[in-house]
Amino acid sequence: MDDFWFEFVEITQSIGDGFLFGSTYALIGIGFTLIFGAMGKLNVAYAATAMAGAYSSLAIYILFDASLVIIFIVSAICAAILGYLVYLACFRFIPVHNHLAALMASVGGLFFIDEVIVHATRGSPLNFPSMFSEAYFEVGPYGIRGDLLFVFFIGLISTGVLLYVLFRTRLGLATRAVAQQDVAARLCGMGIHSTNSTTFAVAGLLGGIAGAMTAAAVGILSPVMMLPLTIKGLIVTVIGGLGSIPGAIIAGLFVGSFENVVMYFRGIDERDMYVVALLFIFLVFRPNGLFGKTITRD
Amino acid sequence: MDYYLNLINTIGIHTLLGLSAYILLLTGQLSLAQAGFFAVGAYTAAVLTVILGWAILPAIGLAMLITGLLAFLVGFPALRVRGLMLVVATLAFGEFVRMFFYNFRWRVIQDGVEVGPDGTMGFSEIRYFAEHGWTSWEVTSLIWVFVIMVMAIIWWADQTRSGAVLRAVGEDELAAGTVGIDVTVVKVAAMTAGGVIAGLAGSLYAHQITMLDHHAFTVLLATFAIAYPILGGVSNVFGTLVAVIFIQGLLVEGLRFLGDWRMLLFGALIIVVMNVKPRGLFDSQTLRWMKNVLRLRLSRRLS
Amino acid sequence: MLEVKSLSKNFGGVKAVWKLDLAVNAGDIFGVIGPNGSGKSTLVNLISGVFPATAGEIHFQGHSLSNLSPHARVKAGVARTFQNIRLFPGLTVWQNLWVARNSTEDTRAEGISYRWFRKSGPVKNEIDDMLEFSGLADKGDELASNLAFGEQRRLELARAAATKPRLLLLDEPAAGMNQEEVRDLDKRIRQLRQQGMTIILIEHVMELVMGITDRIAVLNFGSKIAEGEPAAIRENKSVQEAYLGQSEGS
Repeated sequence: MDDFWFEFVEITQSIGDGFLFGSTYALIGIGFTLIFGAMGKLNVAYAATAMAGAYSSLAIYILFDASLVIIFIVSAICAAILGYLVYLACFRFIPVHNHLAALMASVGGLFFIDEVIVHATRGSPLNFPSMFSEAYFEVGPYGIRGDLLFVFFIGLISTGVLLYVLFRTRLGLATRAVAQQDVAARLCGMGIHSTNSTTFAVAGLLGGIAGAMTAAAVGILSPVMMLPLTIKGLIVTVIGGLGSIPGAIIAGLFVGSFENVVMYFRGIDERDMYVVALLFIFLVFRPNGLFGKTITRD
Repeated sequence: MDYYLNLINTIGIHTLLGLSAYILLLTGQLSLAQAGFFAVGAYTAAVLTVILGWAILPAIGLAMLITGLLAFLVGFPALRVRGLMLVVATLAFGEFVRMFFYNFRWRVIQDGVEVGPDGTMGFSEIRYFAEHGWTSWEVTSLIWVFVIMVMAIIWWADQTRSGAVLRAVGEDELAAGTVGIDVTVVKVAAMTAGGVIAGLAGSLYAHQITMLDHHAFTVLLATFAIAYPILGGVSNVFGTLVAVIFIQGLLVEGLRFLGDWRMLLFGALIIVVMNVKPRGLFDSQTLRWMKNVLRLRLSRRLS
Repeated sequence: MLEVKSLSKNFGGVKAVWKLDLAVNAGDIFGVIGPNGSGKSTLVNLISGVFPATAGEIHFQGHSLSNLSPHARVKAGVARTFQNIRLFPGLTVWQNLWVARNSTEDTRAEGISYRWFRKSGPVKNEIDDMLEFSGLADKGDELASNLAFGEQRRLELARAAATKPRLLLLDEPAAGMNQEEVRDLDKRIRQLRQQGMTIILIEHVMELVMGITDRIAVLNFGSKIAEGEPAAIRENKSVQEAYLGQSEGS
């Protein structure tokens, strides 16, 4: 009986920790879904810009011994700038209807950013300052890690701010208008390119925060994290439903919990396989994801 | 000499890989799963020759069959996802296969030595060609016989009604259905064919390179696979071949002196090409231009 | 030949088609007219299987068409054209017709090798005849995207006819045509009826509809407001109100 209770605690502990960590996936998922919602295209380089933001903030930290707040701000801003550059390089000049070319270009962007980071760091992992890692709250048999809690908190605030911007400001209104009917929006005088590049920048801000969050929670930054983060971000976006922000949030938290539980049972080597398998299950039973908008425009 | 033969082998194998993506692209399915099928073909064929002692041709044959069956099964759920979602799904599939082989162990003792796939350590000692006295030229010939056969088959199919039906589905699925084409059959058939060819490519790869490591089957390979027909255009199979020669010959090998900076260049190149020629290097416009230029040159020669 | 019973289609809150009843006899040319948004195109999409109905039934030659995919309906003998031409732009004119030869008659007659691989003699002749019929005899190898607008319309019609349907749905085939083209279209539709096809003609161009149809149904807001012979429809007050408007244009 004691064994069972012990297992139960361990499992729910994993779920809880995973849930908190899942907020990073949620933010990445929101970023992917924002861009998809606004332009109908996937920016495969998104997670890469997020991590590049984290790397730049690490550089600032190493050079100037910056504080916590500065780290996150720098990461967000760098990722936003990079996001804008990716927009220019991979989306701005490619014909609007050509999803394929834009996708391939963003894949090129992913490789490019990955290689730059590998060269800059000579491929070796770097330590990222962890925040509140000494904090540890005991609630009954459970232990709540301070750093995870902090990360979750940041995620909460960022999402709140984003939703505010999207639904209560003119910029957000413009973004949503362009997403729904870009021809009409253009006829009404809204600059498509300025709106889209702003979307990329906003998604970039979010991504930079997510990148720093991930690095802070894991304690390490390494180029090998880029591809898994991209894939998990895409999986979260798809499971949540392309174009749906609430979907991305729920899916992100869910995937975070799910993968942590899987890791508890099967170890880290097999963990990601199960996350992918989860995607396939969703694709078979709910191809539009949890809250996906069915794309009816031809 | 061996260096050049290796390059020629790589070009051949990558052409097969590109052709497997080409068929799918014709039907409008952008698949990043070909690297996954490639891996399945590679490991299957290698296991057959190394552990089960099969001869090379039957091993390739069975590997193609098994990969084709897997592709067939993948083809059905793939129908339910459109466009970008299919990209994500096939990307995930490829990664799943890679992670599967990362964890796959099947070790046996042969002549006192342990052989077989060893999980994270990869699968080395695939020495069929060496053990049976194949020369480098013979290996290259084998690869290219297959390449030429596959190119010929696809080219021929394109002249027939099958080719037109494939392309019709790729151009407008809805219209294709309303003129009586069974889109499901066409797309699944294309996925299966693509899987078989990728399996063939993988089988040849495993024996040519003599060792398999999961790092070879990443998204990068999947991207190469789809980049070839996108770059070369879907007008005909030669575009893919040219694209492979261009990327592998020029970039990967020709710029070897750039060392580690090649991948950087590759990423930048993709971005540039997609911006300048979003319909591929050999889209119908370029082909027409090339035909006109040739016509001009010829008429000048003759007059 | 075709019976539509209480057919309804909702898009979200919009009732595109609402409890529609129709009956078309074999060999007829049956017109469907109505103002924009009256559900005419939705009706064509429902009969050809592009999307499923919310309620109601469609019976063709005694069999129900529900749950049949578009290509299965073609096999059953129902074909359609598109209002905004949907040819295969990358294929040649010849190939556009070639891939459309999917009637059960052709599938059985040709056998696997001829169907999928070779341009056999009879197939070549049939397709050449169709090209002749559509005035496209010398354009066989031209890419569909390079055709002039009128030629594209003729190809769209020929491609639907290439499926050898019993019932042919024409979705505003005369849109954008000049008088001469409309007369040519009239001629070709009559020829198709002579070959044994029943035709449902959705149209706005009144001279075509009034001149060629045996019966007309008038739709407004997704329901039928009148049905009868062309002359009767012309005089019908509620039709005039809903559609022809105050200024008698036709």
